[in-house]
Amino acid sequence: MTTTPSHETGSALAGRLQNTFIPRLSNLHVVAVLIALLLFGLLVVPVTQVIFVAFQDPATGAATLQNFADFFATSLFRESFWNSFYVSAMSVVVATVIALPLAYITTRFNFSGSILIQSLGFIPLIMPPFVGAVAMQLIFGRNGTINLLLRDHVGISIPFMDGLNGVILVQSIHYFPFILINLSASLRNIDRSMEEAAQSLGSYGLRLFQRIVFPLAMPGYIAGAALVFIKVFDDLGTPLLLNVNNMLAPQAFLRISSIGISDPMGYVISCILVVFSILSLWASFLVMRGKDYATVQKGGGGMAKRDLKPAEKTLAYGVVIFILLVVLSPHIGLLLLSFGTIWSFAPLPDGYTVENYLTMWEGSKTFIFNTVLYAGIAATLDVIIGTAIAYIVIRTGIVGRKWLDYLATAALAVPGVVLGIGYLRTFHGVDVPFTDESLASWWVIIALALMIRRLPYALRACTAALQQVSLALEEAAESLGATKRRTIQKIVVPLMTGGILAGFVTSFATAAVELSATIMLVSSNNDAPLAYGIYLFMQTPSGRGAGAALGIVAVIVVAIGTVASQIIIERDKKLKESGD
Amino acid sequence: MAKAGIKIENVHLSFGKTKVLKGVDLEIRPGEFFAFLGPSGSGKSTLLRAIAGFGPTPKGRILIGERDVVGLNPWSRNVGMVFQSYALWPHMSVRDNVAFGLRERRVPTADAKRRVSEVLDLVGLAHLAERMPNQLSGGQQQRIALARTIIVEPEVLLLDEPLSNLDAGLRVQMRRELLRLQRQLGLTTIFVTHDQEEANTTSDRMAVLDGGVIQQVGSPQELYDRPANLFVANFLGTANILKGKVEIDGDEMRFVTETGDTLGLPSVIGSGTNVVLRPQNITIQQTESKDTFQGEILHREFLGSQIRYLVRAAGAEIVVDQSHVPEHSWFENGATVHLRANTTGAVLL
Amino acid sequence: MKTKLMASLVVVALSAGAASANEKIMVITSFPDSMTGPIEAGFEAANPQFDLEVLNKKTSAGVKFIQEIAGANTADIFWASAPDAFEVLKSDGLLADVTIKSEGIPDKIGAYPMNDPDGKYYGFAGAGYGIMWNERYLKANGLEPAAEWDDLAKPEYHGHVGMSAPSRSGTTHLTVETVLQGDGWDAGWAKWKRIAGNFSTVTERSFGVPDGVNTGDFGLGIVIDFFGFSSKASGFPVDFQYPTITALVPANVAVVENAPNEAGAIAFIEYLLTPEGQEVLLDPAIMRLPINPATYANAPEGFPNPFEDSTIGATVKFDVAKSGARYNLVNSMFDVMITYRLDDLRDTVAAIQKAEAIHADGNNAAAKAKIAEARALVDANPIDEAKSLDAEFAAIFTKKRKKATDKVGERQAEVEARWDAMVVENYAKAKALAVEAAGM
Repeated sequence: MTTTPSHETGSALAGRLQNTFIPRLSNLHVVAVLIALLLFGLLVVPVTQVIFVAFQDPATGAATLQNFADFFATSLFRESFWNSFYVSAMSVVVATVIALPLAYITTRFNFSGSILIQSLGFIPLIMPPFVGAVAMQLIFGRNGTINLLLRDHVGISIPFMDGLNGVILVQSIHYFPFILINLSASLRNIDRSMEEAAQSLGSYGLRLFQRIVFPLAMPGYIAGAALVFIKVFDDLGTPLLLNVNNMLAPQAFLRISSIGISDPMGYVISCILVVFSILSLWASFLVMRGKDYATVQKGGGGMAKRDLKPAEKTLAYGVVIFILLVVLSPHIGLLLLSFGTIWSFAPLPDGYTVENYLTMWEGSKTFIFNTVLYAGIAATLDVIIGTAIAYIVIRTGIVGRKWLDYLATAALAVPGVVLGIGYLRTFHGVDVPFTDESLASWWVIIALALMIRRLPYALRACTAALQQVSLALEEAAESLGATKRRTIQKIVVPLMTGGILAGFVTSFATAAVELSATIMLVSSNNDAPLAYGIYLFMQTPSGRGAGAALGIVAVIVVAIGTVASQIIIERDKKLKESGD
Repeated sequence: MAKAGIKIENVHLSFGKTKVLKGVDLEIRPGEFFAFLGPSGSGKSTLLRAIAGFGPTPKGRILIGERDVVGLNPWSRNVGMVFQSYALWPHMSVRDNVAFGLRERRVPTADAKRRVSEVLDLVGLAHLAERMPNQLSGGQQQRIALARTIIVEPEVLLLDEPLSNLDAGLRVQMRRELLRLQRQLGLTTIFVTHDQEEANTTSDRMAVLDGGVIQQVGSPQELYDRPANLFVANFLGTANILKGKVEIDGDEMRFVTETGDTLGLPSVIGSGTNVVLRPQNITIQQTESKDTFQGEILHREFLGSQIRYLVRAAGAEIVVDQSHVPEHSWFENGATVHLRANTTGAVLL
Repeated sequence: MKTKLMASLVVVALSAGAASANEKIMVITSFPDSMTGPIEAGFEAANPQFDLEVLNKKTSAGVKFIQEIAGANTADIFWASAPDAFEVLKSDGLLADVTIKSEGIPDKIGAYPMNDPDGKYYGFAGAGYGIMWNERYLKANGLEPAAEWDDLAKPEYHGHVGMSAPSRSGTTHLTVETVLQGDGWDAGWAKWKRIAGNFSTVTERSFGVPDGVNTGDFGLGIVIDFFGFSSKASGFPVDFQYPTITALVPANVAVVENAPNEAGAIAFIEYLLTPEGQEVLLDPAIMRLPINPATYANAPEGFPNPFEDSTIGATVKFDVAKSGARYNLVNSMFDVMITYRLDDLRDTVAAIQKAEAIHADGNNAAAKAKIAEARALVDANPIDEAKSLDAEFAAIFTKKRKKATDKVGERQAEVEARWDAMVVENYAKAKALAVEAAGM
């Protein structure tokens, strides 16, 4: 759906576009160049710096592989590498174990509890994992609720949260919705006749699932699994708050923050994180290539849904409710902690109070203000840049426009901690104009980091929104006498509004609780946003309750954001239903 | 291969509250190539799928051979079904697709391999055994889908609009292929279609369905020449229906239309107040003669082999087909003409 | 934590007619907000012309930061617990020489001098190290509180103890160094390893230890005293005790060389030493030992008074120079021998404890010998004290940018790899021996 207007039209368009989006610049090419520069400066340069330093001898500055040799020679780092890999893989496995039965139940049966399952796909995502980690520790920890009760009554204790297990548990509970959604979608995309053909040839039940259904659902599954793998591999907040340090991301953070930004190991680790992320993305792409198995024919339905027998119904409800409880445990734990007085070596807090919320409110106004500011700036920039890139890629013929898309999307492969380290390195020597302050400790850098991290998602939303605006709509307006500029103003942008708004809200909500890059870049408590605020609160004995209260605020922010964006998207869809 | 006949006895089927099959009785003889013909929504696919075991459980009996299969799940029925979309599994090669049914029956590998090769030879696609389905053309996919079902030697072969997804030229070729194969194997086959030409050219007998009820069962020629009701008459080919009544005048019978036009009736099938006239059995004359009735040309269409005229006559718009002979003159719109119907074997309903 | 806006409002309210903006004082500190908050409030209330801007950084990060901005310094105050961090900055010439006026502050706390003899940094509060425990946890596990470091090495505490690492926490570093100085290098390390064999975890930040004790994640923790006091004051079912081998060390504050606002910085330090300033230390969220003996009159019940109770912190004379010389080296050794190999160490010590329990009567000489050998292997260090004080060797562990002309000896990674290999081997052998002995 790409148009290639002549160069003149491009420039004329550019001129109009310019005035709509960024006044006082002369053509769309300039916009493209500016965006490219922005991405270059805020993404490519810092990441390249990091990679560069990893290959540099710290004393002489000469190029060397010595740092990498040191990395692999150090057993701690080898161990961290293996642990990160292990945790990511196991998180995928556990997330699959949770998601598979749920996906199966919703797509294969007429299950009245499907609403429950849909909400399961939403609840974990609104709790930032590092916040949930603390709560999970209270419930599943060595001396947490469950184990205390188990030990009292049954005499055993289960190491849910010991070491790596804790990270795996928290991450799988948080990320299984990715797999649930992808798996459900790909199961639903299997045409009924695929199954019936097998049945008429004598296949049924588990064999049918194994030989036909699951292989056809694989690509969707792999897409979800790869995403979970990368996100867990790169996550800093969760292992940090669970005090698990022998993993790559926390090691990078610790090295840089305790030994200093001149420690080569921090960079080596960052390099490995980035390379591995890219490799995983590429591998999943390879596996999926040529295997788009969406087979639903027009007029055909997805898989036939069976009714549940009473015994099966009970089992299904049992499974769903059990998973629901597990998924809600961080939320419940956090809620209890936020309202609790003292919670020590007991299944529940000693008593309840609203004090913590008051303390939180007293101490967090700056955090909340900062969060709104940073996330607001990040989200706004995201949708502006996202829309611009989407328009340039889809509607113009500017040379190299695809690379804008790739560049912006590449931010997905850069872990937050690496971005943070890159920014520190690149900008610490640069001063903010008119002040003596280093750019690296200026609060704006946090907003910019958030912006870059969320840009891929905003770009997807804007691209999808623009793709829904048929070119014919623009052409119809133009054939009726509207100039390019008025067309964009009156037709294109308003029609994109739903998608843009949804993109803004999602960007905002997720930027509001980002921790990995933030924790590297916050240099003063005055500049700290919510997530960092929670981290700080959790560092004092009297602060845990308030930290939990702030965590609840964070959850609410994300929940409102997610729900709002869903509503906007639904409303938008309805608007376009007849139109398209 | 054992041939089985199918008996459908008083089958009713509802989706929720909607009745889709309302009392179907049918008998299909072993080895027959039988067509279910009807417009969309008539229930033909539903009936087919009920025989295969898909969809809600119907009331009534469906006997395949001697076995009543109502309530039996599809994998226990030993029917072979070819779907409109062919439903070849995209993640398996042609060979694996075809071998699937054998693997489910635990046929030893060597045997299976041999049988796969045989059946692929049968459909003429042995050279494509290692390809993936997305590398095959529509016609090839259809043949593989067929091969996949034939190989398990089902008692009955069910084809759900197998040719609809092919383009016109291929369709003709494929239906001849299908027929040839069926004759060779002698399999009882049911073929669902909405295209009467397909049904006419392939089936031994067919059933016309409408509204979940069988309208008529018989050979294509029977249904065409002796439709049992107006629906069948209209559905198969084009029918001009004139209302009126039969008058007997001594030895002769005449049909007098409501407008007063008269048609001779040398021989007649059935009785009723409607007479069915086929377009190709009416001729247009410039001048009047015995048993003609007058009309006015409304419209002319050039169909290639025929010229089709729409003529206002006898109170109706009558479709008349004339063979197209080059250099023959055509009638103009608005011209007054006289129509003579060949009413030998005319059907009265 | 006040925003600029709030601070300005306070100033306007308190000094109607004050014309220009407040003077800014930039403070780099490792103290948490819960501590700096009340102190900042007190200071700004008493000195409305000033506005404190607090930059929170971990001790080592703070030192790094000051070193890095030295060329264009924007910091006025460095404010942290560990005196050795101040030693590092002092030797880099990054602390200013200032005169501070104060009254009623003694010269020593415990056996330790209150201020830097060269006048580069000043003590403002005292802290000691000790053992904190969770009463419910101990009760549930049938344990008694531990009174001495040695107690923590006892088999009954296996898997119940938590501590941070010296590399991650300046205060933990001090604790480790104190025992090394108090017991001697070899005996000190041996003690630490035996205690570490009982560790449940090594936490990332020093706060992770009291946090773990508070929530009951583990039962006992090696902490700085104010963590124990403030946790107890917050209502947690915990208690704290000083062992006999401990040092009372001042927490310090200093003016940074070339400070933009030296006058303001001096005012801040002076405030800390006033009776009002000292009293803020008794805030339940802070709970640090004031250095003005008079302040103790207002201290809560049970709060220790080092000026009256001479047992606290008297036994070890802490040598700051020694500590500074081998600062990074000690961090490294602890990490290599303990933190990174915690699982191995734990298993080995568990095996030894088991063998010792079986042969508690000491009658089996062969077993006894094996156990002793196992112990020796665990206790063995890759380097002796002399080497630890060898400046050239210690220099390997400093992360300062070396000039290209400096002689490059071994790299830290290489040394650590060697140590790691030795330690892994020793622990494995020791475990094998212990298992053998248990079977005898």
